[in-house]
Amino acid sequence: MAFADQFAEELQKALDRDVLKRLPLTFQPFVNEQLRRWEFLFPNERQSVERLLVYVDGLSEAQSSTLFHEVVDLEQKMGVEHWHFSRSEQTIQNASLLAGSQYFQQWRSAVQVVFDAADQHAMQTHAGRAVARNRLVVMNMPRRLPVHPNTWARWQRIGKPVALDLRGMPPGKTSLEILLPSIGSGVSVAANAGGAAGNQETAASASADMWMLDAGKSLVEAALPPAGKPVKGSDFILLSYERLDKFRDNFSSSMNTMRKDLTDADSVYDRLRNVSVEPWCPPEVENSAAVREYVRALFLSGNGAVIFCNSFVQWGASEAFRRARPYVLAAQFGVRDKPKPFTGVAVFDNPNEVNPTPAVEDLPGSAEDAEMLSLYVWLSALRYTEYQSHTACICIAESLEQAYLIAPEDFPALTAQKPVTLTQLSEILRKWVAPVPA
Amino acid sequence: MMVSLCPAAEWRTDDGLFTDARFDPTKRNFLRAAGLLAAGMMVPQLKGQRRNEGTGRDGPKVVVVIVGGVRRAETFSHEGLENIPHLVNDLLPQSRFYLHTQNLGVTAHFNAISSILTGNWQRVDDWGKYAPTTPTMFEQFRKGLHAGRSDTWIVASNKALTNMIGASSANGYGPEYGANVVFPKQLMLMAVEEALRSGRTANMADRARVEAELQRALEGSNYEGLGWNVFDAADQIDPRVRGTIESAIAGFVHSGGPTSGDELTFFMTREVMRKFAPNMVVVALSDVEAAHFGCYSMHLSGIRTADRITLQLWQEVQSNPDYRNKTTMIVLPEFGRDPDGSSTNGFFNHRANEASTRDTWMMTLGAGVEKPEIVERPVHHIDLCPTVADLLGYKAVASQGVGLKEFRA
Repeated sequence: MAFADQFAEELQKALDRDVLKRLPLTFQPFVNEQLRRWEFLFPNERQSVERLLVYVDGLSEAQSSTLFHEVVDLEQKMGVEHWHFSRSEQTIQNASLLAGSQYFQQWRSAVQVVFDAADQHAMQTHAGRAVARNRLVVMNMPRRLPVHPNTWARWQRIGKPVALDLRGMPPGKTSLEILLPSIGSGVSVAANAGGAAGNQETAASASADMWMLDAGKSLVEAALPPAGKPVKGSDFILLSYERLDKFRDNFSSSMNTMRKDLTDADSVYDRLRNVSVEPWCPPEVENSAAVREYVRALFLSGNGAVIFCNSFVQWGASEAFRRARPYVLAAQFGVRDKPKPFTGVAVFDNPNEVNPTPAVEDLPGSAEDAEMLSLYVWLSALRYTEYQSHTACICIAESLEQAYLIAPEDFPALTAQKPVTLTQLSEILRKWVAPVPA
Repeated sequence: MMVSLCPAAEWRTDDGLFTDARFDPTKRNFLRAAGLLAAGMMVPQLKGQRRNEGTGRDGPKVVVVIVGGVRRAETFSHEGLENIPHLVNDLLPQSRFYLHTQNLGVTAHFNAISSILTGNWQRVDDWGKYAPTTPTMFEQFRKGLHAGRSDTWIVASNKALTNMIGASSANGYGPEYGANVVFPKQLMLMAVEEALRSGRTANMADRARVEAELQRALEGSNYEGLGWNVFDAADQIDPRVRGTIESAIAGFVHSGGPTSGDELTFFMTREVMRKFAPNMVVVALSDVEAAHFGCYSMHLSGIRTADRITLQLWQEVQSNPDYRNKTTMIVLPEFGRDPDGSSTNGFFNHRANEASTRDTWMMTLGAGVEKPEIVERPVHHIDLCPTVADLLGYKAVASQGVGLKEFRA
């Protein structure tokens, strides 16, 4: 199997010692696929695989048998060795076989235990390597979305609403467009400071530190260089649902041709996994192989990212947290159209192509989606220890002139007595993500 | 979404922050109060009234409405009640309501519905490539009481189903005793595709022309193409069915109401009931599955549609002389959906091993319900199949499910 040639020394040694042969069957498709796609992985993902393999490599035969005992036992009960189960990559067939087994949930738990052990080992052997830094999740529901006044009830008092003073907001701009430049500058300072302090993770992960997900395009376009100037590496990974329209259309058309059959599904997915996507990418995505592949994987993994702009934002954010653990994630929700009469059933088709009835925006429906999905963005971050402390989450509802804030007690806006202006908030957020002076 | 072997928290089976909206005591009191209030107004049915033997227009009948995946949080919870006004206000007071109805099998569409229909937790291919492995209630009923094919129908919106849902692969049973299987939404999809292919998309914007497009899709195809299985005719439209479908399409197109897949399924079911008066009708609704695409508002809208259609079906049962006073109607979701904060992206999916996904509810109405009540004892989806056997008076094949004692003579 061909793997990348740029592995870290420790990992390369483990591979040379045939560590892969010590992995249970059900680990192999994932690990093999990750190693083969190394150049497309974000730093956090590389570390995860590296931690696992280096940890297993350091174990004796007996220790590694103990570590994998439960997984192997479950594989035997499931009869995995008799399955038509790909060992080189994850397939829908693999997923279907696993999910259909009565031992699936137990297997998932057993896999988790293994990864936890590897993480634990890495924490112990690299003590102090991970420097705690403040993180920020900032979301916006623009003014056009009529957010329900009782929307924060859904958040079950995990934070608190804060009044905003949006009077100075320039027309045609959203609050996030105003806030982001200073947040970006704060993180850049932090990245530099972290490097100087010897944080080994910082330099490698800088390219995936800040993410911006936009249900429309205005937020992303505000962060791009002026027209005519080449798009170089930006501080932010920029993802706009609207600017990815060619990408989405091509994917949804292919998915629409899929027959209801596992083999056909795998073949369509195979094609989409390998097709060249560069011609469908806007420049800010085309320029980075890892980001291109992230978008491809995002669209292949479902959850509505191809079809609905707000699902794209939520699922995109969730995958960014899982894969890249960014320090800053900014997300802006938007407006989708109402399903058209009679043809709304054909969800994978382009509605404007299928039905010439003029599109009608669904503002209340879009707001209802955004209200739920903004909570989901935060909950998806909370699944990772990195976001369980030192992280502020602020969700702005412009139509309510409020934000919902979840943050440590010393976060300044928590103590504000008067509505917070965007200028004040901008400064608060910049300081939050900037490094604490030694 | 593809299941992948992902590091760390991707595999966590934690509940997330807001696990499951467990049924709280206040809600239970509300339901109990609703049931008790209604009890005084109900005239208990005599057991003999639901024990008519035989089949055909005079026999006892069962209508099962299976809604896709809906959580308790969006239905029978404080916050969810606003989505199901008809279930709560119109039907609950006259129902026997099973507060905890659990799906302990595979929480995916084909297997979940197969399990309900067979009384056994099915673990077949989820793409509907294989039939359930044990006899469905359709086969048991038809074989047991020598009933004709027109006596059992399944009308379904769900795209995950295939005509394999109508009969099992069990020895001595199978398609010979299976149900008629109709997927109205598939007809709509085919009409859309055909209009697109032929450059007639303008027709899909014109209510009057949509009917012609649907008719054209019906005529230009065959049951196999639609995934249907009606009277075993795979390559032509059975003349007994043509009029039924045409009436359903006309009703759907010209009603002026919503135009979702479930809406067409309702019209088709109603026409089948009027034309064939089957003893066993299973309706599977799936507008709620918009949740898979993350569209929460459309998921809620699907719940409201299912709520309304359930009432309309009940009204049909009440007004149709072939069904009035001899029909038991059963309404239940296939399963719930995953809890907010779960690693499976919450309401989008239904594969977490959590109460939010497995623990749902069941409402029963009509002839089999002697008095309104709330049953708090947990029951299972697979208990429905033997219960239907009790209601229709045929001997159930042994299964994992147990007939609900409240329905036994």
